[in-house]
Amino acid sequence: MFGLRRSGCVLAILLGTATPVLAQQPAAAGHIKTSSGAAYIVRNNATIAARPGTAIFETDALRTGADGTVGITLKDDTRLSLGPDSEVRLERYMYAPGEGGFAMVLKFARGVAAYVSGRMAKLAPDAIRLETPSAIVGVRGTTVAIRVEQ
Amino acid sequence: MKQRSSALLVAIAVVLTGGCATRHVRKAAEPPRPVPPALIVLLPDPESGTTGRIRVSSPLGVVDLSVPRTATRVTGDARPGAVTPMSEADVQRVFGAALAALPPAPRHFTLQFRFESDTLTAESTALVPEILSAVKALPVPEVVVVGHTDTMGERKANVALGLKRAKSVREILATAGLPRSTIEVTSHGEGDLLVKTPDKTPEPRNRRVEITVR
Repeated sequence: MFGLRRSGCVLAILLGTATPVLAQQPAAAGHIKTSSGAAYIVRNNATIAARPGTAIFETDALRTGADGTVGITLKDDTRLSLGPDSEVRLERYMYAPGEGGFAMVLKFARGVAAYVSGRMAKLAPDAIRLETPSAIVGVRGTTVAIRVEQ
Repeated sequence: MKQRSSALLVAIAVVLTGGCATRHVRKAAEPPRPVPPALIVLLPDPESGTTGRIRVSSPLGVVDLSVPRTATRVTGDARPGAVTPMSEADVQRVFGAALAALPPAPRHFTLQFRFESDTLTAESTALVPEILSAVKALPVPEVVVVGHTDTMGERKANVALGLKRAKSVREILATAGLPRSTIEVTSHGEGDLLVKTPDKTPEPRNRRVEITVR
């Protein structure tokens, strides 16, 4: 009886700790589709090689070296690509049309990048912000190229 | 005793304010870090060739761009620069490597069902081989099947209904030869209407499943 109650307790603790982890498991925001040369994902201060097929999550940054390029496609069909010596961070990303949840903030830190808008630009254009250190770009369904000079 | 403690207070105050003052002086002596300028260029869509609009804002002003291959340069200490044309050669010189790294455009297919049934219409059945060849053309394909509903019923129930439709399409694609594990199913319920309608409106064209291959 006592043992049963105790194992019930252990189970409850296990469930209690396991469920939030499952609930917080973030869904991928998109995937690497193209890459060449030195191309990385920077996630929690760790650097991961950006190979085609690798998942991208909110708060990840993309970084390229002198010979690197990388291209990603996000869940709403937004496409983003970086030229050499560049860095762009996916600061914020939410695409949940069923619940009406939309957000996208891309931070262009340095170098050159191209952005092609996806479905979010049609469904909720005001939810999209392309940020550079000196300016913020709002988009209405379009293609934009950005260079941040150093 | 009382005098000594007040003297101590004064001493502490002097040290504190003195410390503050030095910190201020040091900060003012540092040259302000310049904000990196940005060159922002509006381009035509790589596939359709159409051009949208962008609004570029800085703390000191706003500028709108709507003509393809025009640009503005924004520095940290002025209004966004005048909108000037940028030649295709200059676009390629500055952005060529980034533009060449853009992934292929996602492709979309819309499947419709026979009225009150799980069976696709003849036109939709004919699309299935085309979907398969679009998947095979990509190096790292993703297949996303999204169910949609019209605005009849509750929002939440429609998310569930859309998911049911998406899952039946996954079965059709799996039977046709796509590995089930590569097919992601989801539902937008009534949140992404093909034909805009008010709430509680029956609309067959909104009862659909969209497939994205990217």
